[in-house]
Amino acid sequence: MKETLRLILTVTIICSLAGALLAGVNSLTKERIQDVNRNKKLSAIQEVLPPCDNQPDANACVVEYGGRNWTFFVARNGGAFAGAAVETSSSAGYGGDISLMLGINAENKTQAIAILGQKETPGLGANIEGDDFKGLFAGKALATSNWAVAKDGGEIDQITAATISSRAVTEAVKAAIDAYLANEEAIEQTGGN
Amino acid sequence: MRFWKELIKGVWAENPIFRLVLGMCPALAVTTSLENSLGMGVAATFVLVCSNAVISTIRNLIPNKVRIPCFIVVIATFVTIVDLVMSGFAPALHANLGLFIPLIVVNCVILGRAEAFASKHPIMLSIADGIGMGLGFTLGLSILGGCREILGAGTLTVWQGIPQLSIGGFKPMVLMILAPGGFIALGCLLALMNYVQAETAKRKGKTIPPPANLDCRHCTICKFGS
Repeated sequence: MKETLRLILTVTIICSLAGALLAGVNSLTKERIQDVNRNKKLSAIQEVLPPCDNQPDANACVVEYGGRNWTFFVARNGGAFAGAAVETSSSAGYGGDISLMLGINAENKTQAIAILGQKETPGLGANIEGDDFKGLFAGKALATSNWAVAKDGGEIDQITAATISSRAVTEAVKAAIDAYLANEEAIEQTGGN
Repeated sequence: MRFWKELIKGVWAENPIFRLVLGMCPALAVTTSLENSLGMGVAATFVLVCSNAVISTIRNLIPNKVRIPCFIVVIATFVTIVDLVMSGFAPALHANLGLFIPLIVVNCVILGRAEAFASKHPIMLSIADGIGMGLGFTLGLSILGGCREILGAGTLTVWQGIPQLSIGGFKPMVLMILAPGGFIALGCLLALMNYVQAETAKRKGKTIPPPANLDCRHCTICKFGS
């Protein structure tokens, strides 16, 4: 009995000390980690949006479409609608989820995409992060473009030997565009006077 | 000097990767580039030194029956500290290493040194052992990661910001930065280490006995057979 008590006491004390230490470290790094995550998202939003004079990340419009919630960050320039950025993802990647930020401009064309997270094969699927591939998604008309990879009869040239990754990116972009087109008016008015 | 002896042995004679063949999970998974290897090595070294120091300090207070849970709690604490600090101050590296930072908890090198060394030796020697093993682990990962990055991607990156070295003139073998490349590179490096060890021993007039569980009689590739 006495020995059992000693075992319990030792483990309890060690765990409590470890817990206290971790609580301290957590409170020191918490803000910093939040900052890092916010900046990461902010720079992606800025990367895909046309020039604007408001704070797109503070001017969001949440819509529901196709069973998912979409958060559009709306950019304005001199009060007029300049564009919108939206985070989208596809689970059809070769190595899991691919998440990206899509920018749409006021001419109803795509502005740019930025890959936020992917676990594709290095050297093959991971080339979706390359400018050559991302450039394919710039300046295309939203409604009239054929959003599919060339292999499926669309107009996005897939990366050789990485059709699955290319298809997943295209699919994610198309889902976001559908959500945008279905809620175009509400998004364009967000933050307007 | 006992301190230096314990420190040096981890780097060469008892190198965790090439001699003890411990911690193979991160060794194969994160060594896709030199930068990732260095990051993993530094993180593991920090955990190893801290956990060795703490475990050595409290080694006489811990009852034998609960020593493993206590070691794991100490190790997990330092791993979590590394995880938090890295995600705050080196987010890119943290994103690359991802899951393998929390998995340092179950890295055999760290629990192995706690059980085999720190729980039986005084604090200064345990710290030396931690530093030595950590350096050896980092060195092993870096050699593996460097080889794989050069062959598989044609580049060599030490740290973001420092311009990376591009090695042109050949088409990189993507295989080398995929999972099979890890096994191939590790196997070749282990064979090379065995060869070097056998050669140096031969020069000194000693022979190294072949590994007990291997039948080397018909193979003449390494020097064990002859």
